[in-house]
Amino acid sequence: MSNERAEFTEFFQASWQPCLRAVVAVVGSQQLAEDQVAEAFARAWASWRKVSRHPAPRAWVVRTALNTGASWWRRRNRELPLAGHDLPDAPSGGGVDVALLAALWRLPGRQREVIALRIFLDLDTGTIAQQLGIEAGTVRMHLSRGVAALRRELTLINTSEAQQ
Amino acid sequence: MNIHDDMSQDDVLAAAATCLSALPVAGPPAVEAIMVRGRARRRRTVTGLGLAGTVGVTALALGLAGVFGGHSPAHAGTTIRTAAFTLTHNANGTDTLTISPLVLVKPATLQNDLAQYGIQAMVHTGSFCSSNPAPDWSQVMSFWPQGYGPVRNPTITINPSAMPASTELSFGYFQLPVGQETALALINTNSYTCTSTAPTAPPAGGGLFRRS
Repeated sequence: MSNERAEFTEFFQASWQPCLRAVVAVVGSQQLAEDQVAEAFARAWASWRKVSRHPAPRAWVVRTALNTGASWWRRRNRELPLAGHDLPDAPSGGGVDVALLAALWRLPGRQREVIALRIFLDLDTGTIAQQLGIEAGTVRMHLSRGVAALRRELTLINTSEAQQ
Repeated sequence: MNIHDDMSQDDVLAAAATCLSALPVAGPPAVEAIMVRGRARRRRTVTGLGLAGTVGVTALALGLAGVFGGHSPAHAGTTIRTAAFTLTHNANGTDTLTISPLVLVKPATLQNDLAQYGIQAMVHTGSFCSSNPAPDWSQVMSFWPQGYGPVRNPTITINPSAMPASTELSFGYFQLPVGQETALALINTNSYTCTSTAPTAPPAGGGLFRRS
C-alpha cells in the first residue's frame, strides 16, 4: 500500500500541471479546471491499480476531468462554459497572447480537446483517438481544422501588428 | 505574404502551447486531500454496491445517515467523515477539511469534530462572524481552490498549532437562492462582529466558497 501511495504521489506531483493546463485549454475556466482535475485525480487514486497500468495515465486523468465537468454541468441544466458565445475573461500580461487565447477558446470543443492532448500530454494521433473514442482520421481532421483556425488568427495578429 | 502563411502545424501548435503555458495556474493541492477524496469515492462505490445487493435495516440506516448529513459510523484512522464534510488529520500536524457540495453542514457536528482535533471554531448557519482587523491567518489556513467562484469540494487545510492565542475559526453557512456559500475567517475572540447577510467577497483573514 505504501508503494502505491508513493507511486501515486509521484505521479500526482509530476502530472498536476500538464493535466491542469490541458483542461484549462478545453474548459476555459481555471477554477473549474482545478476542481475537475482534482476530482479526476481523486478518482485515479480510487482506481489506482487500474489507472497505474493504463497506457497513458495522464490522458486518463484529463479525459476523466473533462467527463466530470460535462456531467456536473449537465446535472445542473447548465450549458458548458464555452458552449455558447460567452468566452471566459482572458488574463492579460505575463506573455499571454489574449487574441490567440480567445481564438483557441472559440474552437469547437473536440478541436480544443485534440489540441490540448497533443500540446500538453504530447500524445500521438493514435493515442488521442483511443482516449477520445474516435477514429484516428477524425483526430487528424480536428487537429487540421483547429490548427488552420489558429493559423488564421496568428495571421490577423501579425497583420494588425504590422499596420500599427 | 505573411510570415504565418508558412507556419507548419508544429509551429502553430508551438505558438498555442507558448500562449497557454503563459497562463498562471495553481500548484497542486495536498496529495493527502486528493487521497481522502479518492477514498471517500471508493467507499461510496462500495456502499452503493452493497445497497444495491442488500435490502435490510442496516442498509436503510446507512442511507438515512447519509441523507441527513449525520455522522457516519465509519471512523477510518484519523479521518472523520460525515455526509457534509471530511476532516482528516495529516501526518504533518495539519488538518484538512473538505466540504461536500450537496449536504448542508450541521454546525454542532462540525464544531465538535474540529474541537476533537484541537481546532477551536464557531460554526453558524445563516450568520457569520469576523474581526476587523483580522488576526494574521497566513500560517493558519490555506484554501483550495483559491478565489471566489463555483466549486464542488473546497478544501481547507488548517494548522491548529499556528493559531495565535485568543483566536478561533469562524464558519458561516448560507443557503443561497441557488446553491450554498461558506465563509471562513480567523477571528479575535475578544473582538468580533456577526452578520446574517451572506458575504459577497472573501472576508479579511479568510475565504469564501460558493457551491451551486
